[in-house]
Amino acid sequence: MEEKLIILTGNPNTGKTTIFNALTGLHQKTGNWPGVTVEIKEGYFTYEGINFKVIDLPGTYSLTSFTEDERIARDILVREKADAVVVIVDASNIERNLYLVTLLLELEQKVIIDLNMYDIARDKGVAIDVNHMEKLLGTKCVITIGNKKTGIETLKKTIYEVSKQEKQPTIKTNYGNEVEEVISEVEDIIRNVAPPYPSRFFALRLLENDQTIWAHIKDASIYREVKKLVESIYNRFPDIETYLIEKRYGFIHGLTEECTKRIEVMENKIELTNKLDRLFTHPFYGTIFFLFFIWLTFNIVFNWGSPFTNLLEGLFSFTAINLSRVLSSINFPEWIVSLLTDGIIGGVGSVLVFFPNIFLLFFIFAALEDSGYMARAAFITDRLMHRIGLHGKSAIPMILGFGCNVPAIMATRTLETKKDRVLTTLAIPFMSCSARLPVYLLFTGIFFQNHRGSILFSLYLIGILFGLLTAKLFKKTFFKEETPPIIMELPLYHTPDIRNMLISAWERSYLFIRKAGTIIFGGVIVIWALSYFPVSATYAGENSFIGILGNKLAVLLRPAGFGYWQAAVALLFGLVAKELVVGTLGTVFGGEMELTRSLTTIFTPLSAYAFMLMTLLYIPCIATIAVIKQEAGIKWAILATIWSLFVGWLVAVLLYQGFRLY
Amino acid sequence: MQTLNKISPGKYKILKIETSCKSAQKRLMILGVFEGDKIEVIKPAPGPVILEKNGTRIGIGQGLAASIMVEKIEDAR
Repeated sequence: MEEKLIILTGNPNTGKTTIFNALTGLHQKTGNWPGVTVEIKEGYFTYEGINFKVIDLPGTYSLTSFTEDERIARDILVREKADAVVVIVDASNIERNLYLVTLLLELEQKVIIDLNMYDIARDKGVAIDVNHMEKLLGTKCVITIGNKKTGIETLKKTIYEVSKQEKQPTIKTNYGNEVEEVISEVEDIIRNVAPPYPSRFFALRLLENDQTIWAHIKDASIYREVKKLVESIYNRFPDIETYLIEKRYGFIHGLTEECTKRIEVMENKIELTNKLDRLFTHPFYGTIFFLFFIWLTFNIVFNWGSPFTNLLEGLFSFTAINLSRVLSSINFPEWIVSLLTDGIIGGVGSVLVFFPNIFLLFFIFAALEDSGYMARAAFITDRLMHRIGLHGKSAIPMILGFGCNVPAIMATRTLETKKDRVLTTLAIPFMSCSARLPVYLLFTGIFFQNHRGSILFSLYLIGILFGLLTAKLFKKTFFKEETPPIIMELPLYHTPDIRNMLISAWERSYLFIRKAGTIIFGGVIVIWALSYFPVSATYAGENSFIGILGNKLAVLLRPAGFGYWQAAVALLFGLVAKELVVGTLGTVFGGEMELTRSLTTIFTPLSAYAFMLMTLLYIPCIATIAVIKQEAGIKWAILATIWSLFVGWLVAVLLYQGFRLY
Repeated sequence: MQTLNKISPGKYKILKIETSCKSAQKRLMILGVFEGDKIEVIKPAPGPVILEKNGTRIGIGQGLAASIMVEKIEDAR
């Protein structure tokens, strides 16, 4: 079957995802783009016997390299040479949305303008003369209402028609005679080095001092010549960067005046948004609401999720027990039985039981995003985050980290710059995830019965503190650039679409399952092998390899007050998933019953607190390390691991040694 | 002349954007906010200033708002 490629682009908050879902239904997946950590979805639909592959780019306002998203969107547009590019435009707001269109036309794409959310435009009092707009721009225009699936068939038909056509001449922004001359001067020199970019597009980005475009010609022989020319242009037109933006807006403004007219306005929805905004962005009430929403999210995630988690846990242990019985009865080698039950089902299972929580977390996350609340929350958290050198939006993934670090790191994809993504990712492992809680519960129950609440609180606080310190430190070391002040578009509030929420939650949590099937699986096997061999030793006992390793590591742990091989082995198991620390302590001390008595003999309250600190800080679990590698790269994954080992050990030792004398 | 962080809701004209951060200025322009524009302030400080232009609602942190000079045209309805 003939295949054509369609790219979907547009500003944030234009209902792009809804259109993508309406076009492709469930025929979609998160694309695997080398080196790209932004979520890029791909989907398919067929029309008139042609298979259309649709790539959904991240929402952007422009195509400069201001943010990572913009750079990636531009790279894909240039590289893929799509048969049609559909720009989703918020019909109630076409001026700002058409800005991206002017850039796409300069990029010489076969553009289709999709005027989406047309119902909201009408509510706001805007009517658009579509035919006139088509004539003025020389592109096809379609009207849709994505959440009601209105206009989707027409959109498919237009995609089909445009994809069959040759490239049509379109209307481009005229920057005025003087500047047009300058553009041609630059174009003349760079014509041979610009491809795959169109030379006019390339020349304009050079004039806008776009660093990635400059890097493109860094090694070309004409580099000096271009540099000299552009510098002389800067002398003649010092404000050329902003001048170009103004001219584009001038062109759009004229166009909008000609093809829109104002009609009667319905103010209700806007009034509601105004009222909510006054509450949600207020420094005091806004913070209260923010904390309430976070509290509500965690309550839902854990209360609704735990029955399913228990069910899964039961299912895994039921399978393990019965499988072991059946296999042993037919004389399967004992090591295979142990590998299957202790290793694979036990290890991978202990990570997979978090699936229901993760799914729910992303479901609610999608609702907060889709409703427009997330944009407001960013302003509440910006006051603190800005001081650390991060964007306000970074707070959300960090908070998600209290649930589970893995989805939290995946959620950094919503951040705009690489700097914010990396720094937030490095801070998240210090957020005390729910898997660490069983460890605290065990130890506080034994050693701090009267102060459980405050001890727990102190651990969470220390985690946050080290997360923020880490971000601040690495910001200073690796990212020197200044953090720009927060400016964000605030969409009108609306009821989130359940279908979009489900698709988004499924896709993100599916990535987690896939991870459990690969890297976590590998880690689990290694830990299992160390515990099982040599065959003569008891599983994870003192004479197993992990026990021997534990004995060696115990020397290092002695200054922290818990230099015992059992503690070391428990921490090694914690590498797979932190809640395994408790289970392992149970195993090495000969069962749950013995555990309390044994712990009171080898731990003091002080060393117990040091051990809890160690569990909090010492290393991200395998799943987290894997996801750091996936999102930020191997270099950062290694750095995060070494850094947290260092911090965890140092803090535990300093605490123990510092208070031992009292 | 006042700065954007020290005003009540209403319609204003932007006189000057005086920020040392060039990327912030460009960002504002890309979102459609220029010197000389008429805007409506929906929510004043404390907290972010929320303004509206051509149906786009934009939140601006207080630091940046302090560097935007405006002049009142009309009180809030």
